[in-house]
Amino acid sequence: MKIKWMVLAVSLFAISGASAEFDFGKLLEERINQELNKDKKTQPAPAPATPQNAAATPPQEKPKIDARQLGFALFGDYSLEEENRIGKQIAGDLLGAVQLVRDDKLQNYVNLVGNWVALQSGRTDITWRFGVLDTEDINAFAAPGGYIFVTKGLYRRLNNEAELAGVLGHEIAHVSQKHHLKVLKQSSLIGELGKAVSSKAKDSDQAVQNLIGNGAEIMARGLDKNAEFEADRIGIVYAARAGYDPWGLPGVLQDMAALPAKDSRTSLLYKTHPHPADRLAALGEAVNGRLDAVSGKDLAKRFYRIR
Amino acid sequence: MKNFLIPATALMLCVSAASAWAAPGTALRNDRLYSQPSATSKVTGSVVKGASVNILAKKGGWLRVTSGRSTGWVRLLSVRAGAGGAGGVGVGDVVGAATTRSDPSRVVAVAGLRGLNEEDLKKARFNPDELARLHALSVSPAQARNFAGQSGLAAVKVPALPEPQPAQSSSPWETN
Repeated sequence: MKIKWMVLAVSLFAISGASAEFDFGKLLEERINQELNKDKKTQPAPAPATPQNAAATPPQEKPKIDARQLGFALFGDYSLEEENRIGKQIAGDLLGAVQLVRDDKLQNYVNLVGNWVALQSGRTDITWRFGVLDTEDINAFAAPGGYIFVTKGLYRRLNNEAELAGVLGHEIAHVSQKHHLKVLKQSSLIGELGKAVSSKAKDSDQAVQNLIGNGAEIMARGLDKNAEFEADRIGIVYAARAGYDPWGLPGVLQDMAALPAKDSRTSLLYKTHPHPADRLAALGEAVNGRLDAVSGKDLAKRFYRIR
Repeated sequence: MKNFLIPATALMLCVSAASAWAAPGTALRNDRLYSQPSATSKVTGSVVKGASVNILAKKGGWLRVTSGRSTGWVRLLSVRAGAGGAGGVGVGDVVGAATTRSDPSRVVAVAGLRGLNEEDLKKARFNPDELARLHALSVSPAQARNFAGQSGLAAVKVPALPEPQPAQSSSPWETN
């Protein structure tokens, strides 16, 4: 059985490609260890069990991966309902770490801009929700199901609506491309986590929590850097499609590139994202002259200034 | 810096943009310098990857820079602000403090301020009240369209950008 797990682990790392650069690898390793330990604990001792024990422990179910679950991990997709439940749990956890800024005009403004940009993403099956988090940290977050957050620290640095649209476009792209769900899907191969999310059991919120880890730590693990580069490429296009000056997101990245590396407000951002200089370079390769003919609005006058 | 801005505002913005961007930068790739912020204007010089430049102004997707003895406009994405070199965090970031824009309105007290960290996120407990607050703030697509229309924003057809050439190992993001 142990060998079976080892084979599974090895094949999973093979699937994940260059595992060394993935935070996902770490997540997976922890999950596998958890499962292996659980296995050890529940393994019936070789000594003859008492009748009570035998009754309490039903014939040991092998932690097998059934074909359905393997198929899901390789080719399947979370249903819309599952996506919403996962997103809701992550968003609620994140809001347990940091509250929303108590400024309804600000929150309404960000929801209006965000929904307009999200309309360009083609995902109309979810309700997009945007929130400004009350922290001076410079960062933004996305969770499945259309939950998008930007910190007050980042918002303060923005100069116009096009820059806000660019930042939100990047986060919207993480949702439209289902980047977090792809990571979770792979970890769901381990143990019962995959099945648990789709179950209607009354403790299924706990099951969702088990899938995403402790609290909102999934937001601290980050995604593969290629997912970040992809979100930059797609986000800049969403903002342009919404009629904004496409140079909003690059402008924000330039601003962050000029910040001192040791600034504590960007430590989490840099833990989970490539350095802005690398993002600018990757975006430059993709854009080249392709947006030369695009002219949009920056709407500096309408931009809501934070108090 | 669009033509709908009245000239005085435009001038003011240019001045402030120029002062804000009078900062060191580094070329991220080999590229040309143009006499105007347009790829159809005259080429006035070039920059090579890793070269230090001085950023003088920003306009749309262009930066006006000096590099050696040449001055001209270069694509915004071909240069990074800050002297950290072309490859992300470098020794230059040690002097980053000196290159950070010094607009007083942006100064935020950093001392004693602890940002969000991994521990905070790990320990976070689901907050149903804040989530309800967030849900109550959401707006409808119709409201968003109306809001966009108020400022003359309209949907534009812009093709997707190409994925990078598969130079590195294949990634699950690309195969999914």
